[in-house]
Amino acid sequence: MPVSPPIGRVVATELKPSTPHQFHFWTALESAVGIGAIVRVEGAGRRVFGIVTDGFAYSDLQTPMHDVIGAEGDPAGAAAAPTDRTEIRLYTAAVLRQIPEEPLQPVPIASVFLAEDADVVTALRMDAFIRPEASTGIPVGVYTAAGLEAPVYLDADFLLGPEAAHLNITGVSGLATKTSAIEFLLSSIFQKFPAQKGSVAAVCFNVKGPDLCFLDQPGAIGADDRRLHARLGLEPRPFADVRYYAPYKADGLNLNTLRTHPSLAANTEPLVWGLREVLDYAEVLLNRDDVDAKAGAFIDFLEDRVVGRSFEDPQLRDAPFEVQTFADLEEFFRAIFDFMEALGRGSEIWRTHHMATIRKVRNRLGNITTRAKGLVTDDGEVNDLHWGQFTDRSIQVIDVAGIDPLAQDLVFARVVSKLREHLERRDLGVDHVVVVVDELNKYAPSEGPDTYVRRMLLDLSERGRYLGLVLFSAQQFRSQVLRRVVGNAGTAVFGRMDMDELAMPGYATLSPATRAKLSALPKGELMVRHPHFTQPIFVRFPRPAVLTGREGVEQFPPAPDLPFARAVWSHLHALDPRVTTTEVEDLLEGRREADVRQALHATRRARPDKPLGYFSRLLGRRVAGVEPPRGTVRPLRPVDDPYRP
Amino acid sequence: MSAGTAAQLRKAAAACGLTPASWVPEASDGRAEQATFRPVRLIEADALGFLPVGLARPWPGPVAFLDGVQRYQIVAYAGVSPVVWAEIAAAVRERVGRRLRTVEERRRRVLVGRPEALAALRGTDHGCEEAALPSDEPPHPIRDFTLVRRTVDAERGRLEVEVGHRYRMASPHWLVVDGSLAQSPQWAADQRMLGVMKSHASLPFTGTDLERYLRLPAGFRTTVFSPAGDEVAPVYSWALRLWPWEGRDLFHGLIRVEAAPTDETVAQAGEICRWLLAERVPVSTPDPRWDRLLYGIYAVEEFLKARG
Repeated sequence: MPVSPPIGRVVATELKPSTPHQFHFWTALESAVGIGAIVRVEGAGRRVFGIVTDGFAYSDLQTPMHDVIGAEGDPAGAAAAPTDRTEIRLYTAAVLRQIPEEPLQPVPIASVFLAEDADVVTALRMDAFIRPEASTGIPVGVYTAAGLEAPVYLDADFLLGPEAAHLNITGVSGLATKTSAIEFLLSSIFQKFPAQKGSVAAVCFNVKGPDLCFLDQPGAIGADDRRLHARLGLEPRPFADVRYYAPYKADGLNLNTLRTHPSLAANTEPLVWGLREVLDYAEVLLNRDDVDAKAGAFIDFLEDRVVGRSFEDPQLRDAPFEVQTFADLEEFFRAIFDFMEALGRGSEIWRTHHMATIRKVRNRLGNITTRAKGLVTDDGEVNDLHWGQFTDRSIQVIDVAGIDPLAQDLVFARVVSKLREHLERRDLGVDHVVVVVDELNKYAPSEGPDTYVRRMLLDLSERGRYLGLVLFSAQQFRSQVLRRVVGNAGTAVFGRMDMDELAMPGYATLSPATRAKLSALPKGELMVRHPHFTQPIFVRFPRPAVLTGREGVEQFPPAPDLPFARAVWSHLHALDPRVTTTEVEDLLEGRREADVRQALHATRRARPDKPLGYFSRLLGRRVAGVEPPRGTVRPLRPVDDPYRP
Repeated sequence: MSAGTAAQLRKAAAACGLTPASWVPEASDGRAEQATFRPVRLIEADALGFLPVGLARPWPGPVAFLDGVQRYQIVAYAGVSPVVWAEIAAAVRERVGRRLRTVEERRRRVLVGRPEALAALRGTDHGCEEAALPSDEPPHPIRDFTLVRRTVDAERGRLEVEVGHRYRMASPHWLVVDGSLAQSPQWAADQRMLGVMKSHASLPFTGTDLERYLRLPAGFRTTVFSPAGDEVAPVYSWALRLWPWEGRDLFHGLIRVEAAPTDETVAQAGEICRWLLAERVPVSTPDPRWDRLLYGIYAVEEFLKARG
């Protein structure tokens, strides 16, 4: 193999000395070296790898005034100078690795070479985990400099645990870099996560438009992206096993998602919860002031004694309460209030719970079905993630983009808590789960009230890796996210950044040149921090081979919301294509919508052989409308009517 | 052994029974010059005249610059006579498309002293060339040191001539030399060489002509004259004021140009002056001689110092 010529030479002066962690070198003016380039220093029995963090250019001009004098005040005169001043390109590099590692010494004054493939592996300490016999490398992109494209890998043990875990990505909105990067990384993990490390699945929360709505659909990618995929040893393909969940809209029939095209219905299901599912996470729905000790005690009472059980209290009514739904719960509350009102003044305590506390809890819980309408039903219908049946390399996408923030919080809290429960019991179906959350600054802000979701995300980031629960989070402004959440991310990825954000103290460790590069980073390029890399590395990643959200809605336009009867038909038609609209319209004639919804959801759950018949039986016999007698209402007492003609 | 350093020679001198010394004389990196008048013969006109040069205009093709450097220090005494280690170097840097690159470079290390001192050191395999001082008079440390300076100057001059000659043999382009062309008959006759003198120790006029000569306005040149005298090769010469001197010094921005003694030189003098005027930028700061030091020459000097 031909030996590449040196591209520079280390220089060390009293003012700019070489240290064990930093050195300076100069290059020819035309050198291919740039910020982020990896270089190798060879000399004095030592090999040192460094990454360029800053660059300087200056000439032998002592002061700008001399240039003015030389040009006699005319800028055109300066440009016409027959000789270019002697000029220097001086670069500062941060040491990535020294060989030998001990004794750790200042970088020798020696020749500097551009790194080659093997150098990149050594410099980034990837040789520790990319071994032919047991590699745990997950491709994250290619390092590019001076025509070199060297694959860069993350260590799966430090990405998905147990050594370290979690990934956080920061970048401005609108470039699709964050979403694309996460999609690419998931694809990379699914293709390269070593079998001996167990199974892995992902749960993605789609919080914006159609961002993650088409992960199972192939997207067109260019030749360059194909080449990058090949260079990284990956196949450009969409995700094979994806299930979509979305709550209903307020009508309880049309899904609240942009993925409603009929051809995508096969793996798209509603996400519907009932009282039982919600009550465990009541704290999510109540702010900190609400959940005082008294309210907490009453909620515990409801959970332990009432909901899902047969609760007897002859004082309230003779028959036991069977509280399964919000409607049942409201009936229960009504009975308490009626009972207490019947007792009259001075009766403020029911079973040690003050009436004000009971009213507060009732108001807050009752409010849920309004604010989370479509997600939470009061009729007992439940359709949840398939807990315990997660499959290896599968993705569950939960589309919460269109629902109330409170409902979003509820979804986060419940899904993550359930994941945690199942992973603790090792009965989820997979060993590792990657939870993808965008807009982290909204759910775990550095300032503001300490919410349940924020505490949950903090707990996940601090303890999740022991369970195999890994957080892949993204946000526009890292500085606005709870420091401990992002701080626990073993791997940090940065796309193009806003200058204001880069001015925050958290970025002070980056050189001005690195910050400038970050502020203008093109789409498809990232800066990566990883435990094995002693310095951040710039990489380029290929566009993932899935449809972007925008392309997806163009190719699979969302189906328009259907009128009630038509929506019911579409659900039944999906179960049995022989069902006609006329049959359904006849069946629905004169029915209450709530009854229809309940029957339909039960039919969808049961998936009977003859859906229409099953549905019809659940609806029951049609009760003929009874007109109230139209007799004259007699006045309470006869009065003279002065206006009577 | 490769050419030794001053420190190596100092050790070697001690081993040979000489008295080691360590002294870097002041101005040891420049040539010694004596203030004189040198009579001239007027060529272009019957009397000293001033001519406006016109607008600065760079030479359109490649141009090269030649300069030399020297440094020396006393490393030992043989009795009372100094033994001097000197390093001399010369280089040519050629400018193509505004960029300078070095095309010729020579460097020599010379040991200068009385023959007996050099002989004593010969066994140490010091690797330096030798230049012997005359030994017809009894040793005198000050007088001997003056002779050393002259010897080093002469060695440097020879090296510059050698390097310049090599360049001109290989290249058709103009070569601008820091100093006089008259030190070499070959140079003096070369129609593509210019000598640019920023030192005015040797003045071409006396009396009122000298007064006029030193008050040459900026952007003007004198008429062409030819320095007379037997010790130099014949050249044509003229003065050119690069920067206004008023309010500064009579010598501020004043250079004397030498070229081959031909009619073509006289005919080209104006064009050459416009070219040299263009060479004022970039200014050669922070060198204190920036007003007379062309940047190309400065760049050669800096190159040689950096390599030394």
